[in-house]
Amino acid sequence: MTKLFGVLCVSVTALSTAALADEFKPAVVYDVAGIADKSFNQSVYEATKKFTKETGIKVHNQETTNQSQFEQFHHDLAAKGFNPIIGVGFAEADAVKKASTEFPKTKFAIIDMVVDTPNTESIVFKEQEGSFLVGILAALKSKTGTVGFVGGMDIPLIRRFECGYALGAKFANPNIKVLMNMTGTTPAAWSDPVKGGELAKSQMEQGADVIYAAAGGTGTGVLQAAADAGKFAIGVDSDQNYLQPGHILTSMVKHVDLAALKVFNDAKNGTWKPGISVLGVAQGGVEPAFDQYNEKLVTPAMRAKVKEAKEAIVSGKIQVHDYMADNACPA
Amino acid sequence: MFGIVDTLLFHSTVSAVTPILLAALAGLLCERAGIFTIAQEGLMLASAFAAVAGSWFLGGAEVGVAVAVLAGVAMAGILAGGGVWLGGDTIVLGIGINLLADGLSTFLLRQLFDQQGVFNDPALEGLNPIRLPGIERLPGIGPVLSDHSWIDYLSWLLVALATLFLFRTPWGLRLRGVGEQPDAAATLGVSVRRYRTLAVLASGALCGLAGAQLSLGSVTLFAEGMSAGRGWIAVVAVMLGRAHPLGVLGASLLFGLTDAIGLRLQGLGLPNQLTDAAPYVITLIALILAVRRRPVA
Repeated sequence: MTKLFGVLCVSVTALSTAALADEFKPAVVYDVAGIADKSFNQSVYEATKKFTKETGIKVHNQETTNQSQFEQFHHDLAAKGFNPIIGVGFAEADAVKKASTEFPKTKFAIIDMVVDTPNTESIVFKEQEGSFLVGILAALKSKTGTVGFVGGMDIPLIRRFECGYALGAKFANPNIKVLMNMTGTTPAAWSDPVKGGELAKSQMEQGADVIYAAAGGTGTGVLQAAADAGKFAIGVDSDQNYLQPGHILTSMVKHVDLAALKVFNDAKNGTWKPGISVLGVAQGGVEPAFDQYNEKLVTPAMRAKVKEAKEAIVSGKIQVHDYMADNACPA
Repeated sequence: MFGIVDTLLFHSTVSAVTPILLAALAGLLCERAGIFTIAQEGLMLASAFAAVAGSWFLGGAEVGVAVAVLAGVAMAGILAGGGVWLGGDTIVLGIGINLLADGLSTFLLRQLFDQQGVFNDPALEGLNPIRLPGIERLPGIGPVLSDHSWIDYLSWLLVALATLFLFRTPWGLRLRGVGEQPDAAATLGVSVRRYRTLAVLASGALCGLAGAQLSLGSVTLFAEGMSAGRGWIAVVAVMLGRAHPLGVLGASLLFGLTDAIGLRLQGLGLPNQLTDAAPYVITLIALILAVRRRPVA
């Protein structure tokens, strides 16, 4: 009897292991901002829901509360047989690098950062191109001839947004004045909406009437201050137009949702490839958001100008300078 | 002066200073009662959340402020109970309160609002700026002083009231006595514990106002960790201002002004790291000058 039970146990275990190996088990490890951050993480989360709806395959959504958990979760998920695993955001780069080295058969993807291991797809965006397009809109909307930019933490990635924006504004109006502020030099700069609001107010006092916020949670203070003053703001990462209806001129959307979906589908269909995927205007990775909340704010002439610039970028006639290429901005 | 200093600069300085000033007054009250507290950061954060929750669920910014003050007092109750009555270490209690406020506000944001990171909604009612019709027209200082929330105005009034209370009333004298010579005060029949408890609870109320100003005055939203180090600056302001209300006011204004100037300097193309450091460099210089003037005891 005991023997029989033992045999049964073994066969059950063998069966379940076989089932595990065949199963397609995608997972996402979110950044600490969480799946309802009205931005990056939320876009990916929506993408996972869409994927599950379309394919019936469950996606494991791993939330984190602390950066120190990244390594543990990537490791544990890979050990449990999850594959592919997406890390949302540059903060997870080290964790992805370690886990992808340790589990060479698991497919990893990281968004917004390059991790150079043979089984990792690094998805990066040409933020300068999207920012260039919203810069055009800002310059065309401004009545004062002054527009503003509020960045979060002063890192090259945010300078890339800033530089593209300034170039776009000057492309549309060579005489435009672009005010620029960074909230701080520590990670606290991502979550200080009070300071964001103060920066926006100070820029508006200096004449700015359109302000682009690329500052995470700090940006919500910028959007609100602009709306309170009857001026305009530009959102970032996901479509934030609905946050202050009538006052958000547009949002510079990074389609992380499409990027995540592509990773899942490619992995499922066996077409997934490691390496660097760069998503710019041409790939539909970055673009200004137009929806019912800002349709009255954007005139047909403004739209036409954006379309023209978009085509010029796709054809290569306009090449938007990348701040991170040489750590300098010609604007 | 290079277009850096103008009335608008001072206007934004004044509203940026309020939360720091209120939290510093809170620290000052405790300091004078002989309790060294570092809980301002947490008290402010918890109150900022309570203010938004109060305004949203109970209706109205003023109700929100009241809820924030109550929350500040309740959280300060931990410090009063543990530090004054049970003889716990106030630094440890302060760290505990700061951690608790951080976790609790994040947790409740998810439970009550089903949101993460930030809660904002156009329907959330905030404090409206109040114009001072007469003063507004004064040349120079008019535009600086007008157009602030009532908590801003109250904070200036509280500086005067705190000065009068500490140095012109018998209760203020006893409070200082409790802080400086608790044994002597006790011998004279002053209840040390009662004075300390009241001082800590009052500091909770002040931090409550500071938190409400952050989430309903400066902006109308709650974001996780939105106190963003202002409570710690307040701790330093108490030291720099030598626990005197006017000194604390001066220290807070110094922080606010250097911060605002730092931001303006960014516009002139100075490196961000340098302008970011400006408030701290100036504080160090002020600290050194302040110490030099005081004879070594």
